[in-house]
Amino acid sequence: MTLTFTLRTQPPARVPVPAVIPQRLRGLGPSKVSALTVRCGRQVLAVGDLFEVSGTGDDQLVLAGDLRRVDAIGAGMSGGRVLVEGPCGDHLGARMSGGELEVRGAAGAWAGAEMAGGVLRLTGDAGPRLGGAYPGARVGMTGGEIIVSGDAGEEAGASMRRGLVAVGGQTGSGAGLRMLAGTVIALSGIGAEAGIGNKRGSLVSGQMVQPPPAYGFATRFRPPALRLQLLRARELGLSVDDAMVRGTWARWSGDRTELGRGEILIYDPEEAG
Amino acid sequence: MSSYRLGATRVADTFAEAFPMRFSRLVITAATADWVHQAASSATGFATSVIGCKCEAAIERPLGAAQTPDGRPGAAVLLFAMDREGVGKRLIERVGQCVMTCPTTACFDGLQGAERTVPLGASLRYFGDGFQASKLIAGERFWRIPVMEGEFLVCDSAGVGRGVGGGNLIIEAGDGDTALRSAQAAAEAMRGEGIALPFPGGIVRSGSKVGALSSKSMPASTNHQLAPTLRAQTSDTLVPDGVGAVFEIVIDGVSEDAVREAMRRGLHASAAAGATHVSAANFGGKLGEFHFPLAELRDPP
Repeated sequence: MTLTFTLRTQPPARVPVPAVIPQRLRGLGPSKVSALTVRCGRQVLAVGDLFEVSGTGDDQLVLAGDLRRVDAIGAGMSGGRVLVEGPCGDHLGARMSGGELEVRGAAGAWAGAEMAGGVLRLTGDAGPRLGGAYPGARVGMTGGEIIVSGDAGEEAGASMRRGLVAVGGQTGSGAGLRMLAGTVIALSGIGAEAGIGNKRGSLVSGQMVQPPPAYGFATRFRPPALRLQLLRARELGLSVDDAMVRGTWARWSGDRTELGRGEILIYDPEEAG
Repeated sequence: MSSYRLGATRVADTFAEAFPMRFSRLVITAATADWVHQAASSATGFATSVIGCKCEAAIERPLGAAQTPDGRPGAAVLLFAMDREGVGKRLIERVGQCVMTCPTTACFDGLQGAERTVPLGASLRYFGDGFQASKLIAGERFWRIPVMEGEFLVCDSAGVGRGVGGGNLIIEAGDGDTALRSAQAAAEAMRGEGIALPFPGGIVRSGSKVGALSSKSMPASTNHQLAPTLRAQTSDTLVPDGVGAVFEIVIDGVSEDAVREAMRRGLHASAAAGATHVSAANFGGKLGEFHFPLAELRDPP
């Protein structure tokens, strides 16, 4: 059965709700869940003060309302399913290691930050540092899949080591900053200064962009691994054009001031197969 | 030997004897169905008998673009060997020499979720001379090996399952044309999911016996008892009166049931195509763990 949280009123300050994840609420009824406390600025509030809670926790949670002031939804979740009906705040699904987190709306900064597993899906836009690393951390995302139907903010996939970030729209500047490995796909194009400090990562741009000077052009080809990744992104709900799946991509290698084994793949519609 | 009739066909009351084997299934894809066929045929070539070729392999079935991981035309290939180590060695040889070398191909594990695996891309990646890269896609690791055409994509490991090798049917008819037509009909009917017919066209014309009458060093020699040309020369001929040609179909399968049902399809198809006699080969039941009595295959598929 599903445990449903419907926002009663806008909280007076930002409210992180890291405890609202399936593994913490399994088997709990509405009264017990309502009695749990969350911190809201300097106040401690009961969950029931903010949300109308119904149902029973059993691996599936639904949160509904304008949740832009509610942070850390699904953060640290390791399994189950969380559905968010509406926009939400920062740190969505941060450090999650499993399960499925779907947002029918937009999310703030740090969505999927340092994520290690599971699937995070957004139908709207994502803020800065999608799948990124927190300040001081060397490694960002280490696994899992993030699918964003809209645009993503600056430095998507910064310092990521493994995993997939697929964006239907554009990414802001600095995508894949100091990327160790993994893949960032932006079907409508990666922003400026993408892939700086990239060691082994793959950045994929569905629109023509000028790679940074530390990247060198290699060739145009049909990358078989990208084909598989695009099909996977489509399977996870992203709208991917067949021409891109079958098409030709220009490969630029870099960042040559680093290890130089990373790549930027740029779709070449003139050679579409 | 007692028998029963299936239409005009006399079916011997005997059984086929088969052995446990290990197998892997690979899915080979390419830009076109023709390149798939080139790669799959090459990878399953010289793989008719585990004794002479170290493995037995065949194309299991062609796959449409909708059935393959990368949405391109493909083929499922089954490879059998006596143990997991043998499967692993043969896969590396054959994928490395026959699939990676073939234009536009990619190679996927067709036995996902198997309890045991053998390294495939994990070993082949060294061909990339340090320039290889891996990608974890939907929880599965792949290797991108740079090649002169672009990149060869191969799964990190391949699942290994427990299969059955050595199921067989012996198909006999009054003349060579009819016998071959019957054997072809049987082979056609037998092919399908979970079945490999490792011999050319699925058919063997040179069935063998263990050892030799003329030499102690020969591990196998012609099955003189089933050679029609020797009928008048040997006292132990098994060629029935009126039979002018004999073919054997060897069947490897992913399970006992798969082999049994393939034999059932083959038996009925060969009878319908004009075989006068159908029999099966065994070693008296002493060597193989799996027995397939032809009497149990009387009901049509």
